[in-house]
Amino acid sequence: MPSALSRSLRSPRVLIALGMILCILLCAIFAGRIAPNDPSDQNLLAILAPPAWIDGGDPAYPLGTDSLGRCVLSRLIYGARTAMLVAFFASLGAMIIGSILAHISGYFGGTTDWIIGRLVDIWMSFPPVILSLILMVGLGVGLDRVILAIILVDWTRFCRVLRSEVLIVTRHDYVSAARLLGFTHWQAIAREVLPATLPLLITLVSLEMAIAVIVEAILSFVGLGVGADQAAWGQMIADARQYVYQSPWNLLLPAIAIFLTVAAFNLLGDGLRRTLDVRLAESGR
Amino acid sequence: MTVFALQAKDIVVSAQIDGNVVPAIRGLSFDLPPGKILGLVGESGAGKSMIGRAIAQLLPSGFEITAGSLVFEGEDLLQMPAARRRALLGRAIAFIPQQPMTALNPVMMIGAQFDEHLARLGEEGREKRRERAVAALTAARLPQAGDLLRQYPHQLSGGMCQRVLIAFAFSSNPRLVIADEPTTALDVTIHPQILRLVAEMQREHATAVIFITHDLRLAAQLCDEVVVMYAGRAIESGPARSILSKPAHPYTRCLQLANPSLREERQALYVMPDQMPSLRQLKGMTGCHFAPRCPLVTVECRQAEPPNVAVAANHNVACIHAAGVPNIGTTEAAPVAPKTSARIVLQVEKLQKHYSVGGGLFGGAQKFEAVKEASFSIAENEFVALVGQSGSGKSTIAKLLVGLEQPTGGQILLNGDDLTDRSERTRARRAVRLQMVFQDPQSALNPRRRIASIVTQAMEAGSRHASWDKRLARTRELLAEVGLSTDIGPRLPGQLSGGQRQRVNIARALCNIPKILVADEIVSGLDVSIQAQLLALLARLRAELGFGMLFISHDLSVVRHLCSRVLVMYRGEIVEQGPTDTVFSNPQHPHTRALVSSVPPDDPLAPWPALNPVVATGEPVSA
Repeated sequence: MPSALSRSLRSPRVLIALGMILCILLCAIFAGRIAPNDPSDQNLLAILAPPAWIDGGDPAYPLGTDSLGRCVLSRLIYGARTAMLVAFFASLGAMIIGSILAHISGYFGGTTDWIIGRLVDIWMSFPPVILSLILMVGLGVGLDRVILAIILVDWTRFCRVLRSEVLIVTRHDYVSAARLLGFTHWQAIAREVLPATLPLLITLVSLEMAIAVIVEAILSFVGLGVGADQAAWGQMIADARQYVYQSPWNLLLPAIAIFLTVAAFNLLGDGLRRTLDVRLAESGR
Repeated sequence: MTVFALQAKDIVVSAQIDGNVVPAIRGLSFDLPPGKILGLVGESGAGKSMIGRAIAQLLPSGFEITAGSLVFEGEDLLQMPAARRRALLGRAIAFIPQQPMTALNPVMMIGAQFDEHLARLGEEGREKRRERAVAALTAARLPQAGDLLRQYPHQLSGGMCQRVLIAFAFSSNPRLVIADEPTTALDVTIHPQILRLVAEMQREHATAVIFITHDLRLAAQLCDEVVVMYAGRAIESGPARSILSKPAHPYTRCLQLANPSLREERQALYVMPDQMPSLRQLKGMTGCHFAPRCPLVTVECRQAEPPNVAVAANHNVACIHAAGVPNIGTTEAAPVAPKTSARIVLQVEKLQKHYSVGGGLFGGAQKFEAVKEASFSIAENEFVALVGQSGSGKSTIAKLLVGLEQPTGGQILLNGDDLTDRSERTRARRAVRLQMVFQDPQSALNPRRRIASIVTQAMEAGSRHASWDKRLARTRELLAEVGLSTDIGPRLPGQLSGGQRQRVNIARALCNIPKILVADEIVSGLDVSIQAQLLALLARLRAELGFGMLFISHDLSVVRHLCSRVLVMYRGEIVEQGPTDTVFSNPQHPHTRALVSSVPPDDPLAPWPALNPVVATGEPVSA
C-alpha cells in the first residue's frame, strides 16, 4: 500500500488530530520553557485565584491557582508531560505484548491459539479499572507503575482484535507459499502476515493512547497514579473537587485537557482506520 | 406477428469509468420465442451476465441502461413502473443462480423458504402450499421431498441445492427463466444432471430460457439459439448447432480451437494473443474490437466497426472476413509422453491421511480417511494428472506432497530421500526441489509485494539473502520465461490481469528450478483463451526446464491435452490410473465413466448421451 500513508495524510480527520496531538506534545516536551511558574511552587497568599481575565485574577497566574496556591496553567502543562508519557509507553507496551501473542495465536492456531485465547478470556473477565487499581495497590505509585499497570490490563484488547485479523491473513495461500519457498515461521509472520495487519495495529495504538490517558487520569484521581510530586490531570481534578463551588475553573480546565487529548487520539484512530483499511477506503466510507 | 417471450432491441449499457462513460454493452438485440433456450456465450467480461442483471435491476453500481428496449410479452421492462416489474420478477420471470449454496437462506428450513415463496405467489392455505412444494421438489427429481422440507441448506449437497432452486424457479410457471452459469459452482459429474433437469423442466413448462455460459460445447448441446458476445457486442448469433458447427466469426472459431478436446485427435491449441479489452481499454478503441487478436485482421478492420451481415438463414455475424474463417486451423500437437528412459523422480508409497472429525470435550471423534493408501510415481519431464470430484482427496494429496500437511502413513520419496519427516533440513531441501502453484492467484500473491519481490521470494527464504541486483536479474529471467514483459517487475499483483497473475504464480514456483511441480487447478478459474495461453506455456516450460508435474484438475479435456498419465481419485482412493488416452477412451471404474460422460461432445451435431436420460449416476458425497 504505497498510497495509504499519503492518503491518510490528506484526510482532514488525521490532519486535525495530528495538529492537536502535536500541540500537546510540544507542551509536554518543552514544559520547562513554556510553563510560567514551577508547577509545585505554592503561594499560600494567592490560593484559589481565578484566571487572569476575571476580576481578582493575577497576571502571574494566567489560569489561576489551586487550593495550595500552585499555578494551574503550569500544572496543566506539566500534566501533559505525564499524560503523553503514559499514552506513549503504555500503548507501545500493550501493543508489543498483545500483537506478539495475537500473531502467534492466529498464525499457529490449534492448541496454541486455544491456550492464548483462554488466557485472554480469563484476563478480560476482570473489570479493567478494578484490575488496574489492584495492580497499583500491589505495585505502588509512580509513573512507571502506572504504565506497567495499563500494559498489564490492556494487552488483551490488542490480542483479541488482532488475532482475528491474523487468522484471516494467514488463511491466504501466499502465506503457505512463503513457507513452501523455505521461509521460517518467523519470516512468514514478519514478512507476509505483519504488513497486512499493520494498518489495524496502528489504528489500535492510537485508540489505546486515548484509553491510556483516561486510565491514568482515573488512577491519579483516586490517588493511585503518579506520585504526589508530579503534576497529573486526574490529580488536579481530585484536588479541585472540594472547592468546586468556590473555583469551578480548577475542575473544568484539567477536564477539558483530558477531553481534548482523548478526542484527538480517537479522531486520529478513526481517520487512520478509514484511510488505512483498504476495505473501508474502497467502499467510499 | 409472434409475441416473443423476450425481445431485446439495441440495448446499450453504459459504465462510468474514471469519469468517462464507456458502453459496456453496445447495441445488443435478440428475439427469444416462447419455449426456446437462448444461449448467451462469452468469456468473462464480455457482458453476457448484464442482460440478466438488467432485467432484475441489479446492475453493478456505475452501470446503467442508456438506450434500447427489453420487451417481455409486449411490455417494455425498462419503461414499466418499478412496482409492475417487481410483480413480474420471481413470478413470470424467474432466476436460477450461479451459486446455489449462497442463494438459499442458511438459517431457514427448505420448507419454510418454499412456503414463503408460494405464499408470495398467492397460494392460500399452508397445507396446499406444502403439497405444491412437495410436488415441485419431486418434479425436480428430489426423492423424499417431504423430509427435505425439514432440512437446512447446509445439510444438502451443492447439486441438491441447485435442484431446490430450480424447483423454486419453475414453481411459479414462469414464462421466462434466466439461468446464469447454473453449473459452474458444481462438480463436473453433476453438470449433466442439472442441465438435463433444466432442459426437462423447460420442455414441460414450455418456458423460454436465457442460458448464460462460457462453454461453447455445452451451448451447442442445450440451446436452440446462441449469441456469442465479445467485449460488449454480439459478434455472432443464430441457431446454436449451425453456429458452432460452422462458425463465421474468427473469435468463435478461435475459441473453439482454443478449447482442448477429450475425444478427437490431439491438436495444438489455438493461442489467441493478449486478452479481451477491458472497459478501460474499450474507451479509445476504434474498429473491430477483436482486431488486435484476430488472425484475419486487415487494415479495414481497424477503421470501422464491422456491420452485422447474414451468412445463412437467421445466422448473423459481425465480421467482414467471415468467408475466411474456415481456414483458421491449428497444427497437430506435440506428443505429451516423456522419453521412455525417463528416471522416476517422485515416488509415493501407500500415502495415507486420516482426520478425526467431530469429537469435542465429551463426544468420541470419528476417523475420516481423506486419503487411503495412495501410491504413484512421477518421472522426469512427465506430467501426471490427478482428477476426481471435489472432496475426493486431490487437494489433500497436494498438501501432503508439499508438506503443508503431515501424512498419517506412507512414504514420499523424492530422488530417494524420504520427505515425510518434519525436520527443518527436509523442509529446506524440499523447498528447492518441489514446489506448488496455487489455484487462486488472488490469494496466492501477497497484494503488498511487488512482482519482482514475489517471483524471487525464494531468494530471501531462510538464511539466504540475495542482493537486489541478483534478484532483479533473476526476475528478468523468470518473467521472460513465463512470457511476461519485464517492466511489470515494479508493479503490484492488483494491477495485473488474471492470466498475468497466474503466470507470476508459476514464475515464483520456478525460481529454484524445481524437479517436481504440484499444480492445483491452476487453469480452472481462467477463460478459455487465457487457459490456452497457459497450457501452451506449461508445455513449453516442460520442454525447456524438464520438470515433472502433478496436475490436479477436474477438466478432463485439459488433462488429456497436457498430461501423459492420469490418476482418478474417488473418495480418497486412486481407483484407476494409466495413460490418459487409454483411461479416457476406455474408462473402467464407474466414477471415471461418470467423469468422461459429463464432458459434452466436441461435435455440436453429435448427441450427448448424458443429457438424454439413459445413464444414471449417483449423487456424489462431498466431504
